[in-house]
Amino acid sequence: MNQSPINIDLSPMIPELTLVGGLLLLLIVDLLAKRNKGIIAAVGGSILLFVLMIITLSAEEKVGSYLFGSVVQDGITVFFRLLFCLAGIISLGLMSYKFKDEGEPHLLILSCILGMFLLAGANDIIMLFVSIEMVSIPAYVLAGYGRKDLKSAEASLKYVLYGAVSSGMMLYGFSLLYGISGTTNLPEMAAKLGHVSGTSLPHMIGLVLVFAGIGYKIAMVPFHFWCPDVYEGSPTAVTAFFSVAPKAAGFAALMRLMPVYVTLEPTYGVTAVGMITIGSAMTMTLGNLGAIWQDSLKRLLAYSSIAHAGYLLMGFAAIAAYPEGEIHDLATAAVMFYLVVYVFMNLGAFLVVDLVERNFGGEHIKWFRGLGKSSPLPALALAVFLFSLIGLPPLAGFIGKFYLFSALVKGKLFALAIIAIANTVVSLFYYVRIIRDMFLYEAEGNIADQVASGAKFKTLGGILALVTVIPTLILGIFWGQLANWIHLKVW
Amino acid sequence: MSPLTLITFLPVVGAAVILALPRHNHKLIQWTALFTALVVLIITASLYPQFDMQKVGINQESSFQFTEKHAWIPAFNINYHVGVDGLSFPMVLLTALLSFLCIPASFGIKKGVQGYFALFLLLETGMMGTFVALDFFLFYVFWEIMLLPMYFLIGIWGGPRRIYAAIKFFLYTLIGSVMMLVVMLMLYFNTVDPVTGGHTFNMLHMMDQANQTGIILLNSTRILMFFGLYIGFAIKIPAFPFHTWLPDAHVEAPTAISVILAGILLKMGTYGIIRILYPMLPETTVSFAWFIALIGVINIIYGAFCAMAQKDLKKLVAYSSISHMGYVMLGMSAFTAAGLQGAVFQMFNHGTITAMLFLLVGVIYDRAHHREINGFGGLANVMPRYMGITLLAFFAGMGLPGLSGFISEAMVFIGAFQVWKVYTIIAIFGIIITAGYLLWTLQRVFFGETNPKYLDIEDINGRELFTLVPLGVIVIFLGIWPHPVLDLMNSSLAHISEIMRSVTPL
Repeated sequence: MNQSPINIDLSPMIPELTLVGGLLLLLIVDLLAKRNKGIIAAVGGSILLFVLMIITLSAEEKVGSYLFGSVVQDGITVFFRLLFCLAGIISLGLMSYKFKDEGEPHLLILSCILGMFLLAGANDIIMLFVSIEMVSIPAYVLAGYGRKDLKSAEASLKYVLYGAVSSGMMLYGFSLLYGISGTTNLPEMAAKLGHVSGTSLPHMIGLVLVFAGIGYKIAMVPFHFWCPDVYEGSPTAVTAFFSVAPKAAGFAALMRLMPVYVTLEPTYGVTAVGMITIGSAMTMTLGNLGAIWQDSLKRLLAYSSIAHAGYLLMGFAAIAAYPEGEIHDLATAAVMFYLVVYVFMNLGAFLVVDLVERNFGGEHIKWFRGLGKSSPLPALALAVFLFSLIGLPPLAGFIGKFYLFSALVKGKLFALAIIAIANTVVSLFYYVRIIRDMFLYEAEGNIADQVASGAKFKTLGGILALVTVIPTLILGIFWGQLANWIHLKVW
Repeated sequence: MSPLTLITFLPVVGAAVILALPRHNHKLIQWTALFTALVVLIITASLYPQFDMQKVGINQESSFQFTEKHAWIPAFNINYHVGVDGLSFPMVLLTALLSFLCIPASFGIKKGVQGYFALFLLLETGMMGTFVALDFFLFYVFWEIMLLPMYFLIGIWGGPRRIYAAIKFFLYTLIGSVMMLVVMLMLYFNTVDPVTGGHTFNMLHMMDQANQTGIILLNSTRILMFFGLYIGFAIKIPAFPFHTWLPDAHVEAPTAISVILAGILLKMGTYGIIRILYPMLPETTVSFAWFIALIGVINIIYGAFCAMAQKDLKKLVAYSSISHMGYVMLGMSAFTAAGLQGAVFQMFNHGTITAMLFLLVGVIYDRAHHREINGFGGLANVMPRYMGITLLAFFAGMGLPGLSGFISEAMVFIGAFQVWKVYTIIAIFGIIITAGYLLWTLQRVFFGETNPKYLDIEDINGRELFTLVPLGVIVIFLGIWPHPVLDLMNSSLAHISEIMRSVTPL
């Protein structure tokens, strides 16, 4: 570690410091405010996140590692910070419907994002672990925010328990890796691991444990059991946030860890590529198969988000297979592109589910029957998001898949590509089932009148719908700019 | 701007206009749709005299016509690149014609008129785009764009089992297209752009074997790629054993959508094989030509026997389509100039003939509200004009001399016999079976005792004649004088034949 000059430059921490300051300010405002606490917090939070985006972009040039090498700022840091802000702003808008008079949930989201900001730049296993916990702990509280709802309490408890186990596993894995390499700094660790003789077994076990820990955060099969229950139990707006932001944070952490993973020589047949490939294949397959049987849209989207984690892991398999070079960059860019697209389409889908739930009181699939007739615009928007989640051109989801497939084909990982093809076809079943129910079926029985009364986007909902629909459409056709920008970030 | 861009995107503009019109003004919506399709037809027809029949196209970028090329996604070297040659131009003509005729044929639709016509025009954009695209990525996007409107058009406006049929269509086609996607990426990453040295999606660069590098040069890879693409296209044709979606989709789809499905969408399968599979993987294709020919023969015979067994008139026509597409496969797998010309001409002719057949089924279904072949009888007495046109369409389907189907089928047989003697002899029996089921159907529907239920049934009306007569005229005209269409494709197809015959099989 570079310890000689004790001259700490805090300037790279400006985004985090701003976030902390803004968070405290909003907390005080929240205490002083009498009414509409939630709306104040949401508006304030959105402005704060917007300012952070500008700060992040303006500090883009300051590349390098800071704070004794524990924080790194590079294109990937910038990218993920912007992504988190974006997901945060859309989620806050969605939250302000449910939590009009409570400021705390909004502030919890902001604290989550603080953890994510640190995570995006973490270059040290301690920093990494602490920031993952900073993301998780507010999330546990948020999951249980439907205080009178038993399911919400269950969700929170499950989230905490599973999260604790996963953190423990990850920490144990880190301790093994630290034991072998004698450093907490990720690049140094990557340089040392694999060169210490007789350590191949703890090396492998350490990496597997860390992978399992991250696997919990991104809901990778077989560590996904918490996901559907937590998604179903949490308030819908919170679920929307969970389905994108903490997940993207997990992927950011995994991306930082990749140089450590590629040090693993095959040990008892375990390789980094093998580990990730199997994780990816199982995740997308079981995620998609699980989604087919769901009647609750939130559970369905939970399984769908598991499947999408599997698709994203495909990119990591290619990254692990090619530690550097063109394919490495392509796969990294593919993951990043997919995450951007995923934020828009998944938040958009939850936006409509939330709208239906608020208007009709449920998110069971029966409330969606005949929606195409009674509420054409929300139904059309949901159809766009679902078609994009399937990956059909000319929508953004197709380009995301195209990107990932490109990395796989270029990296000659054909087995995974074929599994992904089969999965795309399976996913068609459950996504189109919703579209079918919305447009081809009529509302049934005693709820027909209620559905016929329709659900409309109000001003805020309309804006959020546009904010999510337009990129989903535009990025399917004019995605060159974003692709170039991401390529610049990856170097 | 190339006129091809205009005819590709005009329909989608029309769709946007329709969505902006008041929802309940059905007349206005219908006429807007008709007007859009008419403009597209006029522009397409005006290209006919400008089309240079000597230019080859296929794998020569310079001899494509009405081309337009812009960088679309420079990071991936994806271009907006369109153009036509003798292979695609007849298909573009067919698309413009059938899309136009199908709009008045849809005037009977009463529910969700706005959505129907908007989706229909979106479908037309997808079809046009597929035929004019010269960039593989662009081709793929258009190919997939057709899925969505088709799903809704069958699923919302179809018959009783429409939902099942729509999802079946969607699933089958999607399986095919994702396989195509992977092969497309393999080609992309292993093709060198001769100008920039990077990867390229330009189909014409992919066709030049000198640009291909890396793993796609391995025979094993090429065979896998061949089957990946083949399955993608075979599902659309639909070739045995991927044909089972077709009867379901046809029976449930509304009349106009059946016409589009059989008239244009099926052609995309065979078009894709000739446009993409043939020049990109020539020696692999030549090695597996026997396979395409065999599937073609199975399609002919099996489709015809299935048609004979049907009780539902529409299902009969659907199976006859499977049978007729078999001729296309047989002809094109011979690689002789005559065989290829016969195949592409058969694609065009089948487009017009089967469109007539489906429209005719639609006419009788609108009146009787059923399609049971045995439920009619003696209609000749009450619907003489209807019978006249049906006779024409049925005879054309049988391949009677003097009608267009005869010429293309004869060319297919002449071209194929030089290469596939046994297959061709077996396939000729298909004609007899076809004659059998069509004549038997004629007999059951038109002759014998008039069913008392239909004594006062109304004969074919003006709107229906408006859609049928132009097709009938084309069928007769091309049966006597096929050159207007044949000459379009001669030089291009002779060139493909040359390419395919000059390579050595694996």
